[in-house]
Order: sequence, then C-alpha cells, then structure tokens
Amino acid sequence: METIGFLMDGFAVALTPYNLMFALFGAFVGTLIGCLPGLGPANGVAILIPLAFTLGLPPETAMILLTSVYAGAMYGGRISSILLNIPGDEPAMMTCLDGYPMAQQGRAADALAISAIASFAGSLIGTIGLIILAPVLARFALTFGPVEYFALFMLAFATLGGITGKNPMKTVIAAALGIMISTVGIDISTGTQRYTAGVLEMYEGIDFILAIVGLFAISELLFFVEARMGKGRSKVKVGKLTLSFKEIVSTIPTQLRGGVLGFIAGVLPGAGASLGSFISYTLEKSVIGKKGRFGEGDIRGVVAPEAGNNGAASGALVPMLTLGVPGSGTTAVLLAMLISLNITPGPLMFTQNADIVWGVIAALLIGNVLLLILNIPMIGVFVRLLSVPPMYLLPIVTMVAFVGIYSISHSTFDLYFMIVFGVGGFILRKLEIPMVPIILGLLLGPEMEKNLGHALILSDGDWMTLWSSPLAIGLWLVAGLGLVLPTLVGPIIRRRMRSAIKEGPVSD
Amino acid sequence: MTGMGDRILGLFLLVVAVAYGWVAQQWPEPFGGAEGVGPETFPTILAIVLVVGSLYLMIKPDADAKWPVGKSALELVISIIVLVVYALLLEPLGFIISTTLAVGILSWRMGAPPLRAFVTGLISAVVVFGLFNYGLSLSLPNGLLGGS
Repeated sequence: METIGFLMDGFAVALTPYNLMFALFGAFVGTLIGCLPGLGPANGVAILIPLAFTLGLPPETAMILLTSVYAGAMYGGRISSILLNIPGDEPAMMTCLDGYPMAQQGRAADALAISAIASFAGSLIGTIGLIILAPVLARFALTFGPVEYFALFMLAFATLGGITGKNPMKTVIAAALGIMISTVGIDISTGTQRYTAGVLEMYEGIDFILAIVGLFAISELLFFVEARMGKGRSKVKVGKLTLSFKEIVSTIPTQLRGGVLGFIAGVLPGAGASLGSFISYTLEKSVIGKKGRFGEGDIRGVVAPEAGNNGAASGALVPMLTLGVPGSGTTAVLLAMLISLNITPGPLMFTQNADIVWGVIAALLIGNVLLLILNIPMIGVFVRLLSVPPMYLLPIVTMVAFVGIYSISHSTFDLYFMIVFGVGGFILRKLEIPMVPIILGLLLGPEMEKNLGHALILSDGDWMTLWSSPLAIGLWLVAGLGLVLPTLVGPIIRRRMRSAIKEGPVSD
Repeated sequence: MTGMGDRILGLFLLVVAVAYGWVAQQWPEPFGGAEGVGPETFPTILAIVLVVGSLYLMIKPDADAKWPVGKSALELVISIIVLVVYALLLEPLGFIISTTLAVGILSWRMGAPPLRAFVTGLISAVVVFGLFNYGLSLSLPNGLLGGS
C-alpha cells in the first residue's frame, strides 16, 4: 500500500523535534482557544496565522502548528460545556446536555476525562477515515476540468450556510461581497487595474489575512464591549477522578458510532461538526433507548457528541485538502494559510507537496495523542484559565492580532484596513450576514475567476459549456439543493436541536 | 416598521453593487482585443448577483436585531477610537507605551479597575515586546523609549 509509505514519510516529517515542539505548542494553545470564552476556533487560528508568518516557519511546520491548534480547539470546547453549561464553541453545544448534569452530581472530573477519551477516539476514527478517503478523492478530483471546478466552487458557497442555516439569501450576499473584495487589485490575466483608485497599497489586492483577523478578532472584541460581558466566571471545582476502567470500556461502542457518524457529517458539504455531534447524540439516544438516562448525566451522552464533533473536525479536512474547498470557517482559515504559503490547494497537492499533506495528517495523529496526555493530567490548568475574565483577555488578544498584522508588512496602513474590516464585520454580524462565506469568497474568488476564464476560452466563449459535463450538472444540482433545502428542512432541524436542548433538566 | 436594518443594508448594498458594476464597464479593452472573458466579465456577474440579493433584502427583510443605544453605543465608539488611535500612535510613541495605553483603556472600559487594567496593559506590552524583539528578533517600534 503506497498510502502507508506516504504516512511513514509524514511521520518522519512530523516527528522531528522542531515540528513536534510546535505540535505540542499548538495543541496546548488550541485547547485554550477552545475553552476560553470569546475565542472560537476559526478566530484563534486566524490570529495565529500572522504569528506563523513572522516566525518564518517552513510551510510544513506552519501547517502542523495550525492543524494542532484546530484539533486542540475541538477538545477545548467541551471544558466550559461541562463545567459551566456554556459551550466554548458551537459544536460543543450538545455536550452540555449530559456533561453539565454530571458536573452537578460531582462527577465533573469523570465527565472531563471520558470526554477527552471520546474526543481522542472520534478524532482517531476521523483521521483514519481521512487517510483512507483523501487519496481516493484526490485521484478522482484530478479528472476535474475548469468547468467542474467552477461548479464545485458554487457548490461550496451554496452549502456553506449548512442545512441549519437561516437565510440562504444572506449567504449569497456574503459570498458575493467576499468575491468582490477579492477582485480588487491588478487583474492577473490582463493586467487591468481594478478598483484600486490609484492607491499603491491596493495594487496587490487586499490581503485576506488582515481581512480575516479583522472580521473575526476585532468584531469579537466589539461584541464583548457591547454586551459588557467583561466579568469573569466564578471558579469551578473539578473534584476527584472516579472513572472506572469498566465504565470506559462500556462506552466503546458509543465512541465508535459517534466517530464514524461525525466523520461522515464532516466530509459532506453543508453538514459540519455541529450537525455531527447532534446526529451522534440523537442516534445514541435511540440506540440505548429507555435504558439510558440521557439528559440527566448519562456518561454516553457526553461520549457521543464529543466523538461526533471530533470525528467531524477530521472529516472536514477531507474536502479542504483534496479539493481546496473548505466546508467550515476553521478549515477556510487553514486554507488561507495554505494559499499564503504559495501552495495551491487541491488534488495536485498530494503529489507536489506530499510531505506537507502527509506531515499534517501524521501531525493530526500525534497531536491527538498529545492532546489526550495534556487533557487528563493538566485539566486543572485549563479549568483555572477558564476563570480569566474576558476584560483582560480580549484586549490582549486584540493587541496580539495588531502586532501580528503589523509585523507582516510593517505598515500601519494595514492596521487601519483591519479596523475597517472589524467594524464592518460587527455591523454585518449584527444583521446576521454570516462571516464565513465572505472569507471563502476572498479566498476562492481569484480561483473562480481563473477557472471561469479557462472554461470560456476552451469553449470559444460559449457559456453553455458550464453545464456541458454530467459531473458539472451533478455539482450544480447539489449546489441548488444546498440553497433550497435550508428553507424547507432547516426550520425543522433547528427546532429539534433547540427542543433537545430544552428537554435537558437545565435550570439556569 | 420592522426590518429597517435589513432594508438599509439592502439599499446600501444596491448602491455598492451598481457602482461596482458601473466601474467595471469603464475599463479600457485590454491590449490584444476582447476575448471570451475580459477583466470586466466576472465583476459584472457579481454586481448582478448582489443587485438581486440587495433587492431581496429590501423586499423580504428579517426582523431587526437589537442595536446598541446610549451607553453601550458610546462604549463601542470609544473602543473603535482607541483602536484607530493605537494604530496611529504605534510608530511615533513606540510599542510599549501605546500598547499599555490601548490595552489599559480597553480593559478599563470593559469593566476592570483602572489600576489593574493599566498594569495588565504594561505587563502584556513588555512581555510581547520582549518575545518579539529578543525571542524572535522581529523589531517592533521603539518610539520614545528607543533612545538613539
């Protein structure tokens, strides 16, 4: 099997002390980002991108660092779900249902430990799925021409809102805005200046990294200022670990089911980690039936969603690595890193940059082991950091974002731009325009235009070429469904997720 | 009237879309004659998409969000001003002074006691400055503290 060979090469890359150090650092920072309020995984990874640049890291190390942060954030999200009944990030929402009751019954330490194990299992299953599926999909994607790619990009935008998305028209608007911003600068194929207004700094276009940091980090700060949630939360006692080996063994089937379901949800466009954890929780509930005490602190109610969302996190890397089309905010930010490292994402990456792809996959496996080790004995450290009040934390995070952006170009011009993006992002988020399609538009805009151009040149300007191959038609159909389904099915699923949460004996 | 927010956004986006599309039509034809796709083709499509989207927003707006008024609005404006002034003063004042001030004011406005806020600002500024300048040998502006 050549895959095994590649994976071994990947381990050789990831196990060098230098890369291992960054994987460990990333895993630690990622867990922090996941558990701290106001720092979502996409946000956290975005802030670290400029740092990875200024450190002058080689591409594989930079990617290993960010992937470990990504994996770590998925682990970290559960900590505040369990202890405070506040999900650290969106996918960790379902973990509140049984995690918090367990903590109230004095089993917080057990809930944290078993969820770490479940995260590990889910992630492991997801990564194995990634190793098996990614090369196959990459080989298939090699048959894509410009027409198929253009349709695929449309599909990515259409499904980005997800099944649970609210107003698909707002996704369309956000995507159009993002792509528009990406057209600023000198047109690559003709050299025409577009929307530069003669300003020298605009010739190269708007750097998407400062747009991402502005849209996420600055707008987050403004949200906290508005809500005046500056005060920290009271410290929580974790208690003693009483988890028995037998209990761990008894949850193994749950871990397997959750991981596999999560992985599938992660790979599929428009599903993502939140749906992954929701599906695995609901399935677990119906499999166990009346025998379980779901919602009252059943241990399997913690295991299922955690295995699910970590499986989904690895699954979401499949379309990002093989097609260059991310399905979620955080993978979009990872894609931004790849593009700025001058690596063309997509199927060719598996042959041209095999060391990076397999290095990242191997790092994901190693990162998981590190995370499991970090998360069981060191849980106390993270719990203590949970009570750092955002009023100190967010200004410092913002300052780090400023420094990162400043150190890329040493120009304050970029800082003003970042603030503009932050304020704009705040207003748009207030109006429920999603941020992720804007970012995806910024990233994919140039590629879309290039593929559209190639397709039309090949067909002598005949627009019908966009619907000429069966594969392209299929992709267009799925894209259409992706826009229509949320309006039909979305309200039903959203209601179910809400009622599932309300059913829990949560009295806050 | 409900949905004012979306309607105003829709109107704003409509103006943006029309201006964006109109500018695209003004570019000179690229050297070598027109091909299937010129520099204006893709922007024109985008402008049309955004026009449709903005019209939809104005016709079928969602319910309004709660906009900050009074004190929270003032706090927001203060925070934005702090950020702009921070960017403005970063080079002349130097990293440590401007960061202490920026982080201090932001923390204080978010509810921290003033002294603790500025001490947090100073400590974080010194730590980050040390890390970047000596650890990573990337120079941040020294400003007033620079000496020579």
